[in-house]
Amino acid sequence: MLALIYFIILAVVALGAAVCVFLSRHPLYGALSLVTSMVALAGIYGLIGSPFLGVVQIMVYAGAIMMLVTFVIMVLNGARDSKTPMFDKVSLFIIPAVLVLAGLVGFALTRAPLAFDATTLRGSVALTSRTLFDVAQTGPGYFVLFEVLGLLLLSAMVAAVLLAKKRLGSVDTENTEESH
Amino acid sequence: MDIIESKTWIEWVITIAKFGFCFVPVLYILLLIPMERRGAGFMQDRQGPNRSYIKIPYFGKIRLFGYVQNMCDGTKLFFKEQFAPAGVNRVLYRVAPAIPFAIVFLSPCVIPWFGPMVFEWGGQTVRIAGSIVDSDVGVLLLFGFSSLSAFGAMLAGWASKSKYSFLGALRTSSMTISYEVCLGLSMMGLLVLVGSFNLTDIVNWQEHHVWGIVAQPVAFFCFLIAAIAETGRAPFDVAEGEPELVAGYHTEYGAMQFGLFYMGEYSHICINSFLVATLFLGGYAVPFVTTETMQAHMGGTLAILCGVLAFLGLAFLHMIYRYSRKLKATNLTNRFEILREYQLYKIVAWIAVVVFIALGVSSWFFYDPSKFVVNGFAVGSLATAVGTALIHLLVLVVKSVFFCWVWIWVRWTLPRFRYDHVMHLGWKIILNIALINLVVTAVIAKLVGGN
Repeated sequence: MLALIYFIILAVVALGAAVCVFLSRHPLYGALSLVTSMVALAGIYGLIGSPFLGVVQIMVYAGAIMMLVTFVIMVLNGARDSKTPMFDKVSLFIIPAVLVLAGLVGFALTRAPLAFDATTLRGSVALTSRTLFDVAQTGPGYFVLFEVLGLLLLSAMVAAVLLAKKRLGSVDTENTEESH
Repeated sequence: MDIIESKTWIEWVITIAKFGFCFVPVLYILLLIPMERRGAGFMQDRQGPNRSYIKIPYFGKIRLFGYVQNMCDGTKLFFKEQFAPAGVNRVLYRVAPAIPFAIVFLSPCVIPWFGPMVFEWGGQTVRIAGSIVDSDVGVLLLFGFSSLSAFGAMLAGWASKSKYSFLGALRTSSMTISYEVCLGLSMMGLLVLVGSFNLTDIVNWQEHHVWGIVAQPVAFFCFLIAAIAETGRAPFDVAEGEPELVAGYHTEYGAMQFGLFYMGEYSHICINSFLVATLFLGGYAVPFVTTETMQAHMGGTLAILCGVLAFLGLAFLHMIYRYSRKLKATNLTNRFEILREYQLYKIVAWIAVVVFIALGVSSWFFYDPSKFVVNGFAVGSLATAVGTALIHLLVLVVKSVFFCWVWIWVRWTLPRFRYDHVMHLGWKIILNIALINLVVTAVIAKLVGGN
């Protein structure tokens, strides 16, 4: 009963903040709503018996990644509050795509045989690490996937550094910096 | 209402009383501000603020070694007008100072204030954890909170619509991200040895093996530097940077809104020093004595505790007597007032010393847990558990106060770094040392421990 009340509160906060991400005009408000949504989601993770995931959500996403995102937003248009219009031509494609995706996910969730038993899945750090790294129990599947994901992120970072370097050295960025 | 019935009333009382620990960082602010100001004076060979006093009728003035200055500062901040410069973003400008201050109340929840209390109650064994939230994820929760608190500085800088504030906010965010990585990685070596994120487990491991500072000396220094940098104080105060940014992200703030940032910073010091003490200095563990030994000889332990307190009282008295002798030799106009105040301290300290010695002697000879019976109900084991908890708490507070002093010490000793120096230190030195330390620790732990 208590858990249900907590769940409803957190779910309302998470969904409300997620809607705010769409509705807010200024990107910084959008980022802040996203942080709120993520913190509420972390609370839900903790509620269903996986505090480790919840804390990692706060640390990595709300703390580090969203901090970087706000950093970028502030650098890009910190001085002037540019108000982007809520709808433009691109929305014609995005809104149907979002609706179709929501329908698909909803359909899959209602049809899929999701057997979630919170009592057996309770456990945080030990359970997560066993699922990921215990080769004897779950096979090498998750372990290899985990390492490959690490490589992917590393290559993405290297690519980003290369791109940024190229643009810093080129002529037209220097010109635009002067025009500001 | 099976939740209420699942525990006995004494468990509920202790569990709810533990929430009082949320206010520890706020209380530490009261300790840290005079410590900082008088400490700075001590290091720069001056007096520091010690002139404000309370006037007590028929006695005279009480200055409490400059502690009254605290109350003056607080009163001033509370009663100043709150203003907002034109053009600020109203909502975020008001919300921003509240974020770091709200986090202050959440952070203490995972720190173990005392060892798990185990006692007999009504024929069954009761176990109460030493932290408010006894969670498997312990330290990570603390890091999550401290990473969220940087949003306060960021929003303040952005909402102020001032270039100084804005630059300060940008620097805050970049520094928080870089030093959080160092903080987490330097701690990982210890976590590999312990095999748990739970802070109670970490302290327990240190109590039965060696302290973290002995097992992981390199990690200790990396962690300490990163922790100092994370609080954003000199020598890492690039976010506030008085010489270049006026006051950084809180340039446009005044009165209590500035006060909230100020208090948030000091509480951050408090939390970080508790964290360093818990991770690397054995937390609540008494040096060289395990909790089991302590509980087996409770009377003797209490006697030693009272002895230590009596010794501290005597040291205080020595200080007062020396001050009075020096003061009598001078010809300051207010020396009789001050000597009169010292007379009061002498009386209080002598009474305290006598009381502590009497308590120590009586607990050495007469302490016997089996004699503790209230209404025919044996509470001896509860008394032992509470006594152990109090000693643990005292030990933890002493260790953390030492680290608070380290914070002040570093601030008034080292010159401040330039921004690129800070980034260089974080990403190119501390991060690499922490990584190497982690790898070496993991290899050694695998070879020696085999886990």
